[in-house]
Amino acid sequence: MREKLREGLGESGTFAGYHPAVNFIFFVFAIGITMFSMDPVFLAVTLLASWAWSILLSGRRAIKFNLLITVPVLLITSVINTLFNHNGATVLFWLFGNRITLEAFVFGLAGAVMLSSVIVWFTSFNVVMTSDKFIYLFGKAAPVLALTLSMIFRFIPLLKSRYKEISMGQRCMGRHTEKKFLERVRQTVKEVSILISWSLEASIETSDSMEARGYGLKGRTSFHLFKFTARDGWLLAFMAAMGLVAAAGCFLGATGMEYYPTIVMHEFTLLKAVSLACYSVLLLTPLTIDLIGEKKWQSSKSEI
Amino acid sequence: MAKLEIRNLTFTYPLADKPALSDVTLTVDQAEFVVICGKSGCGKSTLLRQLKKNLIPYGEKEGSVLYRGHEIAELDDRMSTTDLGFVQQNPDNQLVTDKVWHELAFGLESLGLDNQTIRRKVAEMASFFDMQSWFRKGVAELSGGQKQLLNLASVMVMQPKVLILDEPTSQLDPIAAEEFLKTVYKINRDLGTTVIISEHRLENLIPMADRVIVMDQGRIIANDDPWNIGDFLAGESAEERHPMFYGMPSVMKIYSGCGGSKMKRGLKETAEGRHLAPLTIRDGRLWLEAVLGDPEEFTPKSPSPAASETSGVDVLRDPIITIKDLWHQYDRHSGEVLRGLNLEVREGELFCLMGGNGAGKSTTLKAVAGIIKPQRGTIHVDGLKVCKENTGKLMGKVMAMVPQNPQALFTEITVEEELAEALYDRKLAAEEVAKRVDAMLDTMEITHLRKSHPYDLSGGEQQRLALGKILLLEPKILLLDEPTKGLDPFFKITLAGIFRKLRDQGVTLFMVSHDVEFCAEYGDRCAMFFDGDVVSCGQAKEFFAGNSFYTTTANRIVRQWNDQLVTWEEVARWVEQNTTL
Repeated sequence: MREKLREGLGESGTFAGYHPAVNFIFFVFAIGITMFSMDPVFLAVTLLASWAWSILLSGRRAIKFNLLITVPVLLITSVINTLFNHNGATVLFWLFGNRITLEAFVFGLAGAVMLSSVIVWFTSFNVVMTSDKFIYLFGKAAPVLALTLSMIFRFIPLLKSRYKEISMGQRCMGRHTEKKFLERVRQTVKEVSILISWSLEASIETSDSMEARGYGLKGRTSFHLFKFTARDGWLLAFMAAMGLVAAAGCFLGATGMEYYPTIVMHEFTLLKAVSLACYSVLLLTPLTIDLIGEKKWQSSKSEI
Repeated sequence: MAKLEIRNLTFTYPLADKPALSDVTLTVDQAEFVVICGKSGCGKSTLLRQLKKNLIPYGEKEGSVLYRGHEIAELDDRMSTTDLGFVQQNPDNQLVTDKVWHELAFGLESLGLDNQTIRRKVAEMASFFDMQSWFRKGVAELSGGQKQLLNLASVMVMQPKVLILDEPTSQLDPIAAEEFLKTVYKINRDLGTTVIISEHRLENLIPMADRVIVMDQGRIIANDDPWNIGDFLAGESAEERHPMFYGMPSVMKIYSGCGGSKMKRGLKETAEGRHLAPLTIRDGRLWLEAVLGDPEEFTPKSPSPAASETSGVDVLRDPIITIKDLWHQYDRHSGEVLRGLNLEVREGELFCLMGGNGAGKSTTLKAVAGIIKPQRGTIHVDGLKVCKENTGKLMGKVMAMVPQNPQALFTEITVEEELAEALYDRKLAAEEVAKRVDAMLDTMEITHLRKSHPYDLSGGEQQRLALGKILLLEPKILLLDEPTKGLDPFFKITLAGIFRKLRDQGVTLFMVSHDVEFCAEYGDRCAMFFDGDVVSCGQAKEFFAGNSFYTTTANRIVRQWNDQLVTWEEVARWVEQNTTL
């Protein structure tokens, strides 16, 4: 268990095992609503939930990566907004004849928290929405798109390994050790040109192989390995309900807040309370599902 | 009923002065296993490509190619896709998608089948090929052998009636190749699929075949049962031997080479009383037992060829590459690839480092070339320590390496410019460059191709061009990574000649190879690599005579009688002298 926590669940998490549509709808709501939130309570919820889940998914790596991304974002956004936005009533001090206000600083901070939460959500998106799921979802719209995406995902590692082989081949001749800048540029250009002609030549064979297996026949379908089961249906319905209520609240201004000229929090209405509750439940759903799944694993393992 | 029928086919490529296929007539029956062999450029691929509608090359065609009575060029697209499967040479280039399961489904998607049907067919195929454990993997993670099996499976999933394979194992190592060919055999036996396969690696393939076809210069020169092919190619005497004879399995070469057709004792017979020449090691041993007698009671009439015959470097020369206590692992989680390796390569010898896959042979070569930096240990090349500061002084000057894929070197649009490119940083006069290029074209026997584009050359020719380009750097030490991969047996002999010539000029050759037969015949010293270290090392002949399994086929056949014989020629000569007839 400890080992698992250190390395993270990765794509083996229980939530990631749900149908891609379920995964996708979650991210649409989570990230979408976060982007329109300026209220500190909402921001706090989304920030905490996004961090918690990403650590569960990627372990120690997530902490390092998230800090590496969010700290600069936090600093840059809040500093820039404080320095260049002079709205707001509470003047902290004057800098080169400009007003530096508390409101601008808090606004920048809130914006930075929003932005960094979105980024952290996206790191989890990256883990959960593997290329297969991505291809499946977008291939629903157009089979050609699905194939193209799949071929791109095939080509990236292929080109990488080919380029590695080329630069090794060049080193076999004593090249690739150039010290002068111009020579190095020239060598790189040469290697890239080898890569291009090699890949073009190879793609003739690829297209032969595609045609030999009937590419171009009418009525192409798109195969996938995903099954939509009852549990996917229930979870989808649940998350859609939670998400829609939260989104409605967001649309009606529950997640917003006044920063200028003075900071005024929106009144804590029933609407806000309900939408905050739904939003929190929604954001914690995958985390909870993953934790319960992990618990079940542990207990089933100890039974054996 | 004949499935495939080729009648008087003559085919000429545009702008070619000679036809690539002339007057080819051939029928292939249901569920037959047909092997087509011949030198590179003999028209094998051209012939096979005539059998698949979308691969038929442009050119002038006479005669007809029929599948169940229909001209193939006019076959319905859907029928051509489902009935005729085609597997090409390169494992990487044939893969289209990023995941194994998607690749398997590709053909069925094209046919427009629904998800449930595809799921079922893909499942069946994955079970047949035993792919469950890597079914969900990305194709980039697979080994070369797995990739080629995947290519085969993704053709077989459409349940073709005829499976056509064009040198499918030329890019694979021997173990993966053997497994691949076994799978093809299983397809033929278990599913009744007709198989037409062209190959250079015939050792295991010929015994599987129902029929062997030998091609030469666009013609079919033999089309017969496998046991008749050896005698046909051997001719009456050594001078009359057809070049393809050298590509046959060792058993056949020994049998036909020692005039075995006169010694028919112990051979199986057909109903018509024709003798079946031995094709497998087992057949070969049984035949030798009939001819030579029981190995336990056997006393040789004439001695085995004297050890002095080994032409190699017997005198103890100075070591030019010294490897001391080398340790390496690629990353913290993978195990060590090199475990305290010690090795010496002597000046002016052809040294062969052999061993299984992933044993660390290529890693050793890369370490010597300074491409990877081992964690511990030292390497000295020609008195200089291999390290970052010295790579500039060593690579491309004292030593050079021929990469496995020649394409990694090609930048120019003609062969001669390609060779000249090797010298561009040497600041030589144009005439001098031209002179050296001409000489190299001559040495590599590619002068007739000087104006061709490097990519238009065949595999063997590309290999020669890459070797020539490297040799223009005039290295004292040549490092070779699997130089015989994908070469036809005939060119291997030419390559051995080039190696000999270089060695006589004082060049040291350090090669890493899987090719037991090649190393046994042409290597000076051989070493066996296992588990990160060299476990045995010695003069080629002694080395192989000392091994029981990791040795040439010829040696395995005859070692019960005489374990000192390594090459098939030695065996054939010795058997001829020692028969009790």
